[in-house]
Amino acid sequence: MRKLFALVQRELLAYFSSPLAYVVLTAFLFINGYVFYLIVAFLNDPRTQAMAPLKLLFGGTIFFWLFLLFVVPVITMRLLAEERRTGTLEVLLTSPVSEGQVVAGKFIAAFVFYLFLWLPTWVYVWILAGHAKIDFGPVWAGYLGIALLGLLFLSVGTLTSALVRNQIIAAILAFAVLVVVFSIGLVENIATGAALKGALGYMNLWDHMDDFAKGIVDTRHIVYSLSLTGFFLFLATKALEASKGR
Amino acid sequence: MIEVEGLTKRFVDKDVVANVSFFVPEGEVLGFLGPNGAGKTTTMRMITGFLPPTSGSVKVAGLDVSRDSLAVRARIGYLPENVALYPEMRVEEYLRFRAAVEGVGRAEMRARVDEAAERCMIAEVRRQVIGTLSKGYRQRVGLAGALIHRPPVLILDEPTVGLDPRQIVKIRELIIELGREHTVILSTHILPEVEQVCRRVLIIDDGKLVADGTPEQLRGGFSGAAQLAVQLEAPEGEARAALEALSGSSGVKSEGNGHFRIAVEAGSDLRREVFKLAVAKGWMLLELAQTTPSLEDVFLRLTTHDAAAEAEAPVAEVANA
Repeated sequence: MRKLFALVQRELLAYFSSPLAYVVLTAFLFINGYVFYLIVAFLNDPRTQAMAPLKLLFGGTIFFWLFLLFVVPVITMRLLAEERRTGTLEVLLTSPVSEGQVVAGKFIAAFVFYLFLWLPTWVYVWILAGHAKIDFGPVWAGYLGIALLGLLFLSVGTLTSALVRNQIIAAILAFAVLVVVFSIGLVENIATGAALKGALGYMNLWDHMDDFAKGIVDTRHIVYSLSLTGFFLFLATKALEASKGR
Repeated sequence: MIEVEGLTKRFVDKDVVANVSFFVPEGEVLGFLGPNGAGKTTTMRMITGFLPPTSGSVKVAGLDVSRDSLAVRARIGYLPENVALYPEMRVEEYLRFRAAVEGVGRAEMRARVDEAAERCMIAEVRRQVIGTLSKGYRQRVGLAGALIHRPPVLILDEPTVGLDPRQIVKIRELIIELGREHTVILSTHILPEVEQVCRRVLIIDDGKLVADGTPEQLRGGFSGAAQLAVQLEAPEGEARAALEALSGSSGVKSEGNGHFRIAVEAGSDLRREVFKLAVAKGWMLLELAQTTPSLEDVFLRLTTHDAAAEAEAPVAEVANA
């Protein structure tokens, strides 16, 4: 446990001592701020029907997804690829820590950074709370959805970073896999046949996020995200074991 | 302490390491010598468990590297070839990180970091960011990281490469000192380093072990040990016959003008006999010099692949014996 903690701590230090963290953070706040402004402006239009602004912010718009699909690979790309390129992976994997611990340490650090990205969005909640009464149920559920989505997406990024030594390639691979993971559920909309439609619907991340943002905490969505996360992290561990000495 | 048996690593269809076996007892400083690309790093990586062998086994302190991987890793301090560090960390942060990962407890942390920094002479740069350090300092930070948990076994892959001469001397002194408490395997292609630091030398070439012994044994085993250069004022034919008759002489070459070159068998010293011979015969002895082959000669002979060297191959067997 202390070893894992040391791994996480080192990784976070690496995040915050590189300019990448601040670039991502700034871009994230800028785009989210702009989207928030758009949503509020849109809802201020008298012709729009009443909707919860935070529900739109959390997965209701394509901006949310585009940004996640881009930003998660950027967060995860250097995790293992960088260590492999510089050779520090050799030191790490000849220390008495298991490959599983290494993957877990990296992943947890990436997740902490991801949560840190979302922290400032509480400002929006605070702004809205100044103008209307906020139902905090859906807000918390929305953040839960974001966290689960983060786990799933980050596990994909961790896997691709374990596979290659070039960060850019790791990011592009992660992006490609994430697009598949994200869009496979959207096929639901054009699928025919009840069984296929049902199966795809189970995998529809947009719908999942929609439910969370409405305040519906569906255990099936939670199980889906967590089990896929576990699967990708397992693959990442195996990839790390298999790639020793390469 | 370290038992290597039939170790083989095949990449595609080439055996990078072929059937290498050796044993390193506790407390020995073993030099691992060979030209670049001979398989030194590959062998060391297999000992640390970073690279799984194609066949053969490695045991450290009785534990199998592939089966008890974590237990073995805890007993080894490893400094890889290109001393990879995290450039964004401070030296102190890095050492604390290494200590935690190697399983050093919270209570001992401070003492161990102090000790490692002290021994590796990096105390003055503890607050500095690793990325701003010179190569010599980085090398020593890497070494400090490798020995922070006081491992019984230290594996150092070319620890002095890229250092300036003064730093090389310091690192060598440190390794000699470490050899008193640790079992050390040290790879290098710098010969004087081996002579100074190691009690035993393995020479590996093209993946195969070609020699194993102390530096003295290797030099001795080579071409029947020493040579004597003698200059006598004496009748050529008679002197030559007399020198050849000495027990321990394995051949005399006359070089004219009274110069002779005597090949001396391993373990013999003919200087006294030559002197006595000269006195007994009333010859004037003008020169008497013994030359021992340097480890360099042994190394070049064993690792050169041209036909001439091949013809003299028996050397390797002598050295192996």
